[in-house]
Amino acid sequence: MNDMTKPPRSRAAKWTRRGFIGAGVLTGGALVIGVGMRPGNPVAKLGPVVAGGKGEQLINSWLKIDADNVVTAIVPHCEMGQGAHSALAQMLADELEADWSLVRVMQAPADGNYLVPDTIRAFVAPGTLDAPDWLEPTWNGLFTRIARLADGMITGGSSSVRSTGQHTMRIAGAAARQMLIGAAAQEWGVPAAEITAANSMLSHKASGRSAPFAKFAAAAAEQDMPQTPVLKQPKDYRLMGTDAPRLDIPAKVNGTASFGIDAKVPGETMSYAAVRRVPVPGTRVAKMDASQAKGMPGVLQILNMGDFIAVVADSYWQAQQALNAITAEYTKAESPVRSGADQFARFAAVLDKAGESGGKAVVTRGDAKAALAGAAKRISAEYQAPYLAHAPLEPMNATVRVKDGRCEIWTSTQVPLMARSAAAKALGLSADDVTVHHPLLGGGFGRRLEVDYVVMAARIGQATGFPVKMIWSREEDLQKGLFRCADLSRIAGGLDAQGRLVAYSSVFTQRHDPADACDCAFYDIPNKSIRHAESDLHLPFAAFRSVDHSQQAFFIESFIDEAAHAAARDPLEFRLAMLGQSPRHKAVLEKAAAMAGWGKPLAAGHGRGLALVESFGTIVAEVVEVDMTKGKPRLTNVWCAADPGFAMNPDGFRNQMEGGIVFGLTAALYGEISLKDGAVEQSNFHDYQMVRMDECPAIAVEIINGDHQKLGGAGEPGLPPIAPALANAVFAATGKRIRALPLAKQFV
Amino acid sequence: MHRSAAIPATALALILAGCGSKAEAPVEQIVVRQPGQPAASAPTAAAPAAGDLVAAGKAAFAVCAACHSVEPGGASGIGPNLHGVVGRAVGTLAGFTYSKAMSGSGITWSEAELQAFLANPSAKVPGTAMAAGQVADAQRRAAIIAYLASLKH
Ligand code: HEC
Repeated sequence: MNDMTKPPRSRAAKWTRRGFIGAGVLTGGALVIGVGMRPGNPVAKLGPVVAGGKGEQLINSWLKIDADNVVTAIVPHCEMGQGAHSALAQMLADELEADWSLVRVMQAPADGNYLVPDTIRAFVAPGTLDAPDWLEPTWNGLFTRIARLADGMITGGSSSVRSTGQHTMRIAGAAARQMLIGAAAQEWGVPAAEITAANSMLSHKASGRSAPFAKFAAAAAEQDMPQTPVLKQPKDYRLMGTDAPRLDIPAKVNGTASFGIDAKVPGETMSYAAVRRVPVPGTRVAKMDASQAKGMPGVLQILNMGDFIAVVADSYWQAQQALNAITAEYTKAESPVRSGADQFARFAAVLDKAGESGGKAVVTRGDAKAALAGAAKRISAEYQAPYLAHAPLEPMNATVRVKDGRCEIWTSTQVPLMARSAAAKALGLSADDVTVHHPLLGGGFGRRLEVDYVVMAARIGQATGFPVKMIWSREEDLQKGLFRCADLSRIAGGLDAQGRLVAYSSVFTQRHDPADACDCAFYDIPNKSIRHAESDLHLPFAAFRSVDHSQQAFFIESFIDEAAHAAARDPLEFRLAMLGQSPRHKAVLEKAAAMAGWGKPLAAGHGRGLALVESFGTIVAEVVEVDMTKGKPRLTNVWCAADPGFAMNPDGFRNQMEGGIVFGLTAALYGEISLKDGAVEQSNFHDYQMVRMDECPAIAVEIINGDHQKLGGAGEPGLPPIAPALANAVFAATGKRIRALPLAKQFV
Repeated sequence: MHRSAAIPATALALILAGCGSKAEAPVEQIVVRQPGQPAASAPTAAAPAAGDLVAAGKAAFAVCAACHSVEPGGASGIGPNLHGVVGRAVGTLAGFTYSKAMSGSGITWSEAELQAFLANPSAKVPGTAMAAGQVADAQRRAAIIAYLASLKH
């Protein structure tokens, strides 16, 4: 799957989003709309689950209308601050012609009716399928099946808007509009074509009749599912492309928003669990001494679960205090890695073995080996990225009730159905006997794509038999979780006599996702050899915001900068010269450079650096200005230009670019999880530092809507360029090339 | 095969392994009591034994220790050394300058006098220089006094 050894195909030949929607329009809504809108409206079955409110009528799986004419979009993705709930509702509301002030959003339950096959497709085959239109239904059916198998209710990969938004919510909105119009046409005895929908009202001009949507909600649900819902063209967008105010903000400001950690089991006395996992991954508890903890206030139960210890008490504080009083011994670790140096030595050994042509070929173009040998000038460099923790504000937690062969779970998760299956498996139950409620997430960043913590809580709940809320301490969260992997990369390049990069060869040890993160296909480099020489990891892996791009962008864009320097060319010019085949990338880079006043003189001790990355379908260029006059990096400005194809909510998109930049800056400047005796050394925010307010640069973001048929993501693409842009700026200011992150460590 | 971040390893493993495997039971389970049941020996419920009272008093004395030493013969701080204060006549500790209010009060520190003083220092000795150290809880006062009384020798 995803073998990229073939040369990149031309963009024009690629499968397009429009082709997909078009296919659906031709072959029937069922296939395009997928699980939610199969022929036969699932309203009767789903109604009691999602439309229990007074006077609420479910029109199709994805929306309901109540007696006050309020439209509620039922969104299958989770909300972790990225704005997906609101953006998806916005897309549905636009196609429906709903009044935005009357639109609400609801989290779809963890139910097989709310799968997101397009997200699965975007991950498994990120834009690489050249399926002709007639084959689309087959692909679509296939991915729906895969989605069901893989418990595909996932929020990740910066995909909510471009997959579910485009292929489900818009179609659901358009279909519902047609169903409402159909119902009104019948009642009023006029042709459907003469009825218009606007601002949550239906009207018939000739007869002067009009009525709110709500009046026809029940009749609309009885209508046949439209086989060919017609979607809007950009010129007709009313809400899409506007800064429609986010629906989730008021509750977050007034404190009524409920997160996973706020969960309570209805009607039950709550007990709380504090947990301590084994310090080194793969070890077990050999001996536990709980003699002191047993007598401590509030303690209900003490559990040695083998891979972790738990104390259950009347309050979380009491549980944690008693846990602190427990001493334990652990089995010996199998992994020989004791320190960060050990881990990097293992990586280096793997890369040594791979040499100049070993490892698994990911991209091969031309003959990089020959081109390197024949180059006028050769350069090479080794780059290093450390382990990172996700450190979401809301630590891992889950609330469970295991009773009478059933299990109910409340937790923040990006994968509610996987959480359900994993808990079922751990408890020896069937998935149907497990219910997962998933409220808002206090940060996900990929950490909550894993369900280890949910399984722990379920096991505790089963052992106690009474409801328990398990909360990890901040220390536990930082030290015992799953991590963005460390990596080492070696890159070599060859310049011809004119200073053009004619050969590029790279090898690295980690490759998880997306498949093309290690490439920079938009640069026209005739000879390429990109290889993956796999090495094992001491700490367990979890996807991190932008996943492989978070390291690869640093490796690649630092190296391109080094190549420009070796060619004695301006880094901007050097890149632009390689973008002849990529006009959208060129426009983005030029925009960011213009915003930053690239080339204008700078104050002494200041430097500018830039980076250009395409990730998750969005092209982003960032320029950083850094002030090195105090001997350590202080960013004054970041200028960011981005082309997501089309920004559905520009304000939300800008917000995500800014968030990605600050999150990436924290990682670039300070982020490092290091090891001592095989265990994580850092423990809390004092030694795992975040970028603070006073260090945050001024950030300017400009959006280019480069292709409304080819949407990119928002949640992750802001992050990858910031580390290389910063390192390149530091080089411009000081002449010191930073090849190992975190950066601040090099200036103490 | 390339592994996608969207389909975490745990989930893939699940798909392959299927459901219904046996639950992993605890290696060791210590049950102290059921939720909602009162604790067997709540520390505040029954009258504590003498030893416990002194221990509790020692812990509670932490708030006094900022100003008072209890080392035999130890130097006074902001407040006078309190070693052997129970039974001592006020203002008799050499090397400490008492306020006029205190030295003129004529108190001998019995347990009852200490109870009254600690309950409200400036009510018992109006004009005292002891600005902090009020202990509202009678049990805690008793514990502190028991602790001070235990420091005789
Ligand atoms: C902020 C400092 C401070 C704190 C805290 C403090 N004291 Fe005092 N204490 C003093 C001073 C000063 C005096 C002398 C008062 C005077 O001369 O009026 C004093 C006097 C006394 C005396 C009389 C001693 C004698 O030699 O006659 C006793 C008894 C006493 N404190 C007990 C306590 C106890 C018990 C606590 C804790 C609950 C406490 N104090 C907390 C400053 C403090």
